Amino acid sequence: MTGPGGVRLEGVVKRHGATTVLHGVDLAIEPGEFFVLLGPSGSGKTTTLRILAGLESVSAGRVLMDGADVTLQQPGERDVAMVFQSYALYPHMTVAQNIGFPLKMVRTARHDIERAVSAAAIKVGIGHLLQRTPGQLSGGQQQRCALARAIVRQPRLFLLDEPLSNLDAKLRLETRLELHRLQRSLGVTTVYVTHDQEEAMTLADRIAVFIDGRIVQVGTPREVYARPRTITVAGFIGTPPMNLIPGRWEGDAVIVGDERMPVATAGGPRAVMLGVRPGDLRIAERGLAAVVERIEDLGDSSILSFSAGDRLLKQKSDRLPAVREGETVRLDFAPETAHLFDPQSGGRL
Amino acid sequence: MPRAAGRPALTLEAQERRFALALLGPALAVLLLTTTAPLVYLAWNSLHRLDLAMPWLSGFAGFGNFGKMGGDPRFWNSLLLTGIYTGSTVVLQVGLGLSLALLVLQIPRGQGVLRIAAILPIVLAPVVVGLFWRTLVLAPDFGLVDIVTRALGLGSHNWLGDPQLALISVIAIHTWQWTPFAFLVLLATLATLPPDVYEAARLDRAGAWQRFRHITLPLIRPAVVMVVILRTMTALSAFAAIFAATGGGPGSATEILNLYAYRTSFTELNLGYGASLAVVLMSITLAVSYLMFRLRRARR
Amino acid sequence: MNGSRPLRRIALALVAGSGLAVWAFPVLWGLLTSFKTERDVLAYPPVLVFTPTLDNYREVIFGASSIVPNLWSSFVVATAATLLTMLLAVPAGYALGRLRYPAKRASGFYVLATQMLPPVGLIIPYYLVLQKVGGLDTYGGLTVIYLTFSLPFAIWLLVSYFEDVPLEMEEAALLDRAGRLRTLWYVILPQVRGGIAVTTIFVFLNAWNEFMFAVVLGGNRVRPVTVAMFNFISVEQTQWARLAAGAMLAMAPVILIGIFAQRHIVKGLTVGAVKGGGRR
Repeated sequence: MTGPGGVRLEGVVKRHGATTVLHGVDLAIEPGEFFVLLGPSGSGKTTTLRILAGLESVSAGRVLMDGADVTLQQPGERDVAMVFQSYALYPHMTVAQNIGFPLKMVRTARHDIERAVSAAAIKVGIGHLLQRTPGQLSGGQQQRCALARAIVRQPRLFLLDEPLSNLDAKLRLETRLELHRLQRSLGVTTVYVTHDQEEAMTLADRIAVFIDGRIVQVGTPREVYARPRTITVAGFIGTPPMNLIPGRWEGDAVIVGDERMPVATAGGPRAVMLGVRPGDLRIAERGLAAVVERIEDLGDSSILSFSAGDRLLKQKSDRLPAVREGETVRLDFAPETAHLFDPQSGGRL
Repeated sequence: MPRAAGRPALTLEAQERRFALALLGPALAVLLLTTTAPLVYLAWNSLHRLDLAMPWLSGFAGFGNFGKMGGDPRFWNSLLLTGIYTGSTVVLQVGLGLSLALLVLQIPRGQGVLRIAAILPIVLAPVVVGLFWRTLVLAPDFGLVDIVTRALGLGSHNWLGDPQLALISVIAIHTWQWTPFAFLVLLATLATLPPDVYEAARLDRAGAWQRFRHITLPLIRPAVVMVVILRTMTALSAFAAIFAATGGGPGSATEILNLYAYRTSFTELNLGYGASLAVVLMSITLAVSYLMFRLRRARR
Repeated sequence: MNGSRPLRRIALALVAGSGLAVWAFPVLWGLLTSFKTERDVLAYPPVLVFTPTLDNYREVIFGASSIVPNLWSSFVVATAATLLTMLLAVPAGYALGRLRYPAKRASGFYVLATQMLPPVGLIIPYYLVLQKVGGLDTYGGLTVIYLTFSLPFAIWLLVSYFEDVPLEMEEAALLDRAGRLRTLWYVILPQVRGGIAVTTIFVFLNAWNEFMFAVVLGGNRVRPVTVAMFNFISVEQTQWARLAAGAMLAMAPVILIGIFAQRHIVKGLTVGAVKGGGRR
């Protein structure tokens, strides 16, 4: 089921006094996979990561690594490495001592430590900074040092807690690429926590979306994007977020106001929440009536905001449409690009 | 609930707990032994007549000692003196310390030397300070102060022998020694205040006094409160300097409750009564510190 | 406004100067006095130019009223008390500052409360108990008693330094397989080195300067310098110059520490004042 490096969470519940932070989390992570835990703040993704690390205990459920139950094992015994959001570098030690610390703790021979440290440092690109202290490093260099410290002992599980959030935008994009390359070259099972859905989409082999202490969907980035299971997931993934329009599903179309918008599947009659991604929205001859509120020209693409009734809709296009602010237009979409959700439960139909 | 494995595996929290108690245990044990146990014994003694000068009178006295206190003018005198002493020294220290800190803040170059000078009174032993002042500063005729007053034509006085002047003198000694504490702490606090708040205030056309009242004071309030608490505790338990300078005299002119308890116990050897006086002082100290901490929390 | 700038500066300099004078002068005056003969001390108008003499120091160090044994007593008791205090306070401060355990708040209050006790309340029971067990006038007895004011103060000061270390340090070290004890030793303690130094300084200063416990619970064998000062004062006469010399000698260690560790001390005072209680 799960080979070396495989991780499973079974029915993990975490309570903090009276509040339940995690409501029964089930997860199966394949060996060598780059697995991302995605969700807004407070959704339980970081708690899950810390449970994997052993830094938090579980109120119920099990944690399995390589088939063995490690639920009660101390963090040091699990052969897990973690990169903290603040890096948690030891400020009084040099970079070399920081990276070598885990090896020193298991009494590795000094000669072997030196070799492993320089190998890890070179791999992340800080081989020339070994004698500096963390205080003398830039943010990006500190992050690499934390990475090196994590990989130096070749752990079976690699955990990262929003490691890019302290970097500026440009550095973030560069580092993202390097992180992916690093993981691929090491082949180590990696669990990565972030609230940035773009990061998740570009890095992950699979994503688990966390909302309010529950996993709402697990899948590849494409699956999560193309077939979001709930309205919340749909709204979370993709920028700008998916447009949501209430309507009535009758037969092969959804009635919104006076307009009949054709959709790919037939069903109903029932109330329904229609979801259309900004990239799928088109200005056309007939369709939903809308007034152009705002045109944002980004150079290579444009985002238009419309008000239709009391709704704000957004369209994303790679050209600048020939309309002006204040104009009334009609919007439609290709039927197969429509998503249909139950307005009460938010579930996909 | 975490599944207790029973055997080796302790949950992370349990292991942390055990470690913490192992670290804290020895210190707590020592504290219990050296502070709490003696206090119980003190309270016990306060309920007895324990007079080493007249040992045949020793025995259980119930609350007799405390009753005696009510009609003891020397006790009420010591209470009054304690209040005056504590109140005036704390107010003087904070007032002088703050004023000096505000002024010195504007002379960046003088600060280093002044800080070294300020350190000196604080590191000296209070008993030595008391002796210094008694002999070299306040001695009639050739003490520093007398030299100055004679030069100014104010004549020579018996600064420590005159009951009125003695209280003022010991207050001066205490203030001299501990104002630097307030000064240093407040100077450091003032130095950390953000300059942009002041710039904004200047733009809003706030005058110097207004800036002080509405910006500086609120921002340094936590530090001032803490200084007041600490200095009050020190003033309540002040002993060595007064003992060295006046011994509590002349008569009982500088006999704060602390000193009265000491004299009763170790000069007059009436330990039972002394114990009860100490109990009263302790209660006052605890009450005052409790009140002050409450105030501190309320202000936050 | 601009015109009065130099005037303001002069005024400020005067004020600062007088502050300096008020605080430094008595010590300097004492230093001066210690080199005078008794006659010169009593002279009026005060003699600023005089022939300095080392007689006072000679007498105070080598003579009949030598305070060298007292310096030794002070040194032994203060050092022992400081060592013992730090050995107990560092782990306790770590636990209080960073670990989770039941009744943590209560233990914190307890430590704070023990700091607030006026010494006179403790000295009576101590005197009675030590008298019974023959602990009066012993190094051991005095050292243990000094713990009563050193330990709570040291713990409280150390707690604020420990709290300043980022929380994830332990977690990172635990994941690096350091275990609790090695985490404390290799990762946490090096980061509070400064705080430990400051605390040690304060504890030593307090212990060296202690008087009340020393005078009541000490005796002829164990008599710290603070008590020995009174050797020079009797009903008949005060040996002014010798007293000055003795006091200078007695306070020399403390003054030197004050001058050289000045920055540390100021930082310690501020930390102690802003974050929690303290004896000084």
